[in-house]
Amino acid sequence: MQEFYPLTAAQKMHHNWILKYKTQQVSGVSVVASLKSPIDFGLFKKCIQLELERYGCMRVRFTKPDKNGEVKQYIVKKDSRDIPVKDLSGMSMHDADNLMQQWAYETFDGDDIPLCDVTMLKLPEGFNGFFIHMDHRLIDSCGLVVMINDLMQLYTHYRFKSAYPEDLADFEKVLANDLKKANNEKRFAKDKKFWDDQLDALGEPLYSDIQGPSVLEEARKRHGNKNLRAADIELEKLFVDVKDYYLEPEPTKNLLHFCMNHQLSMTNLLLLGIRTYLSKVNNGQEDITIQNFISRRSTHDEWTSGGSRTIMFPCRTVIPLETDFMSAAYEIQNVQNKIYMHSNYDPALIEEEMRKRYKTPENTTYESCYLTYQPMPVKMENPHLVNIPQHSKWFANGAATKKMYLTVSHTENGGMNFSYHYQTACLEEHDMELLYYYMMRILFKGIAEPDMSIGEIMEQV
Amino acid sequence: MTKEMQFKTIVAQYCKVKPEDMANDMRFREDLGFSSLDFMSFLGELEDTFDIELEEEDALKVLTVGQALELLERL
Repeated sequence: MQEFYPLTAAQKMHHNWILKYKTQQVSGVSVVASLKSPIDFGLFKKCIQLELERYGCMRVRFTKPDKNGEVKQYIVKKDSRDIPVKDLSGMSMHDADNLMQQWAYETFDGDDIPLCDVTMLKLPEGFNGFFIHMDHRLIDSCGLVVMINDLMQLYTHYRFKSAYPEDLADFEKVLANDLKKANNEKRFAKDKKFWDDQLDALGEPLYSDIQGPSVLEEARKRHGNKNLRAADIELEKLFVDVKDYYLEPEPTKNLLHFCMNHQLSMTNLLLLGIRTYLSKVNNGQEDITIQNFISRRSTHDEWTSGGSRTIMFPCRTVIPLETDFMSAAYEIQNVQNKIYMHSNYDPALIEEEMRKRYKTPENTTYESCYLTYQPMPVKMENPHLVNIPQHSKWFANGAATKKMYLTVSHTENGGMNFSYHYQTACLEEHDMELLYYYMMRILFKGIAEPDMSIGEIMEQV
Repeated sequence: MTKEMQFKTIVAQYCKVKPEDMANDMRFREDLGFSSLDFMSFLGELEDTFDIELEEEDALKVLTVGQALELLERL
């Protein structure tokens, strides 16, 4: 008999964005993975069909909302669809990427429908592979990387007799376990207390914008409230542009060494870089909140079950300007560690609590910056493919729910990529240039002189 | 199953070391590859499994499997 399950907190986050922004486009995730090598497309099709069997999250569908608007999910037992092949080999890689970018803008509209499209591709320059377009309620980027590696292991097993990939955790079993954990009353009470205590101690958060205090000032005028501490969200013009900056391997190594030598995680160092910039451009504001995404994948089952496990929590710190860089970094680490311990909580409840306490106006926010740090590269980790050039690329879905969303990832040659997704209705490329430039200046000044105060660093960079 | 083995079985879900191969002097981060998120999630799992309340400050001082076991015994 078909089982129906409620949505997890991570799935609800995407689902609520779809409802709020009135388009499924905000929940699209797409990637191309290819190899500079001939591919047996007949065999590859069978492997993709087998992957659909192995990776249960690819078969998730959602019901029509009931009379209370509630949507349930279920996993169809079999998805025996055909997998088409498209030939883009006559194009330039640039044009092929542009075409795939258009595919990434497509939406999945309707209830009880598949939310995963796979197309095999003949690409320019001798590359062959596949493009996958999915709904983020089914999978996050870590889940996609695991899927790509598993699929390629299946292919190399059947093609070159390499070892058959290890079993993946059962998506449905992990989902049921997650929902059971979320319903643990004792755990829920502890998590709620942690988040409520933070508001008790610090009061209402204060918005800080990438463009400085004028944004909050305008919101105050618009709402006729000179004490307003939240700013408006752009709900209509969602077009997003992406600006990528590349940090060379040598300076990347310096950041990594600093983290290793000081037992600091890269996420926390990056959060410090962003918050210091926000403080700098907001007249030294000390109370700063940044939304940080975490992927709740720690156990073997969580890593291999697929699904959407990425969720964001507000990282709020009040750091006086006289605090030295190192202490500020540890302060963030301390806050983040506590957040990790309470990350089973549904962040929608944190927002709800703030709206209740502070009567925050609808469609306003306390945060302008969102961060994802991805330690895992999109690379096919397969010994049979190690010497074959690869072409992989993530495609933006083209509709941003956030003013500025920074994804930091590691590149294959040891560098780092800073990918800034920004709403073009509010921000320009120049804003991203400034943000990246100052983030780097702040971070490298800080790691060179960790005893220097945050205020001094802000003045000197 | 002893409490120690039950504890190590939970640890093993987060790393590639089998419970029977897990030495008490193994460090969560360096030897078992725990990230901060892994470690904090693991503490939450311990609380739920053993029905205990961990003081965050004490828990954050734990570096090795043995120290975590000692903390568990004290509660």
